[in-house]
Amino acid sequence: MSFDSPFHVTVDFNTSHMIFPTIIAVILGILLISILITRGSTILATVTNGAWWPAGIDHKRFFGTLALTVIYFLAMPTVGDIFPNTGLGFYLCSIPYLFALSTLLLHERCRRSLMIAAANALIAPTLVWYILSELFNISLP
Amino acid sequence: MELLSILTPLFFGLVAAGTVIGIIFGAIPGMTATMAVAVCLPLTYSLGLENGLALLLGLYVGGISGGLVPAILLNIPGTPSSITTTLDGYPMTQNGEGERALKIGITSSLVGGLISLAALYLFAPALADFAIKFSYIEKFLIIFFALTVMAALSSSLLIGIFSGFLGIFISLIGAYDISRGGNGELRLVPEFLEYYLESGFSLLPVLIGLFGLATILIDAEQGMKDEKGLSNIKIGGKPFKLSVFKGQFVNLIRSSSIGTFVGILPGVGGSAASILAYSQEKNFSKNPEKFGKGAPEGVIASESANNGLTGGALVPLLSLGIPGDSTTAILIGAFTLQGIQVGPLFIGNNPVTWDAMIIAMLVANIVMFLVMVFAIRHLAKVVTVPKNILFPIILMMCVVGAYTINYGVMFDVWTLLIFGLFGYLAHKIGLEIAPFIIGFILGPSAEIYFVKSLESFGTFSIFFTKSWIAALLWVLIAVSIAFSISIARKKKRVTTGSDEQA
Repeated sequence: MSFDSPFHVTVDFNTSHMIFPTIIAVILGILLISILITRGSTILATVTNGAWWPAGIDHKRFFGTLALTVIYFLAMPTVGDIFPNTGLGFYLCSIPYLFALSTLLLHERCRRSLMIAAANALIAPTLVWYILSELFNISLP
Repeated sequence: MELLSILTPLFFGLVAAGTVIGIIFGAIPGMTATMAVAVCLPLTYSLGLENGLALLLGLYVGGISGGLVPAILLNIPGTPSSITTTLDGYPMTQNGEGERALKIGITSSLVGGLISLAALYLFAPALADFAIKFSYIEKFLIIFFALTVMAALSSSLLIGIFSGFLGIFISLIGAYDISRGGNGELRLVPEFLEYYLESGFSLLPVLIGLFGLATILIDAEQGMKDEKGLSNIKIGGKPFKLSVFKGQFVNLIRSSSIGTFVGILPGVGGSAASILAYSQEKNFSKNPEKFGKGAPEGVIASESANNGLTGGALVPLLSLGIPGDSTTAILIGAFTLQGIQVGPLFIGNNPVTWDAMIIAMLVANIVMFLVMVFAIRHLAKVVTVPKNILFPIILMMCVVGAYTINYGVMFDVWTLLIFGLFGYLAHKIGLEIAPFIIGFILGPSAEIYFVKSLESFGTFSIFFTKSWIAALLWVLIAVSIAFSISIARKKKRVTTGSDEQA
């Protein structure tokens, strides 16, 4: 894009893909500076005064949920490659994932609550896998 | 006759099922109508457009309505839009009027839903007919207006605008779409991700990540504590009588209309609708001191306004292609799945789908009313379903949704994770998700409208001089920004005043 006068522009089609992203990036930069100027003191006070993340959060449940989810995502295609086009990667990984996550999020792990978590981990993926993969032929990992 | 072939038992069954599931989602604190629609959207893939919309619209109406249950019984808004229901609903429960408060809320929700549906039926086709005449310039300015309105009603104008522009920026990742007149060149994509991001991030995994995973991470961070149980709360007590609505006609109509109007404004959530309606009712009331202590008129204002939102939010979606709120933004996904573009031509080109949507909304409101009135005691128990059981199932459904949306792409599942983390981070640093989403959805269209206008006219001044509509839109943009600045100043004065008093 070249400027012939303050308002008149010529758009070069070959580089037209960068016009809008550049304008938006410039606006974002201006907005960010404006935010820093108008709220700088509040931001500075928060940064210097408050406890840094992840202090004050439930480390076990937050990072546990995140770690289990990443492992689940990594495991699904790997197991799915062993049984291609069956959706079993999803099914076989969902059972331990649901059980592990349900147990992680529990506050009181008694026999009854663990049994409910186990039953849920078995029934929910089975139902979803059967309905989507077997009945509707929807592809699953 | 074509319409009759669509109105099958399956269609009505899906509306009813969607409404009940939506009520359950809405009734569980932390789970919203938006999450319900996002999680269930992939299921509509095999249902076809009309049946899929039947399910999703049921979820939408049910999800918004279900929020009143924990708001009244536990003082926890089930959805953000029921925040003002807690103010008078919970005191009513404490006074032994729980069931009465619930039924007042349910009846008000029905009235709000029906009034907004009438507004949708009347206004959307008229607005669409008008919008057909819009050129790229007016379309671009409407998107710009939508962003400023959203930002104006955010907690901070600057943060709201920043969030909207960030959404636009991220939507531009990938190739400049050839099918819409672009040159097909990639931009903003790291070399190692070129294969995956040629078409940018898919909409649905982004939405599912922001509303599914992020919500669960926020809850996990707080230790996933169980909410107060219902065991100690007596739902019953004073019986509900329709006579409670005597003298509330104006309140019902005004609050429903406020909800509908706020819904029509793009990207503005239900909480704004209910807060506005509640404060108006309090201002006009002869006994404002009763508010906050169990005044039925407070529940009526709040609930009729938040259900008034449902039809209103569909008006800009179906007439301009601009979503009215986060939930209707996800509904765009349902149309995309079936290869249909929403915009000014939608109603004219798809009259049967349009009629089916109106019928689905009507049935959803009726089912919502009947189910909630007759089964409220059982539904209220849903609040106690443990999150350690629900959340893993929702995460599993999120994966299914993200993976199936593009016929089995594992990168979409990772997109869900990326945007789940982004949503969590946005919550921590105070970014506004609604403007971000609208920016993300409308960004590619805004780019095409803007660049093609410049290519055709070769001057920036055309955005001001093209037509009277363009000039009017600039006036509206200026008004929305001025409104936001005035609100911010008022807030500052109130804060300073209360600080001085303290």
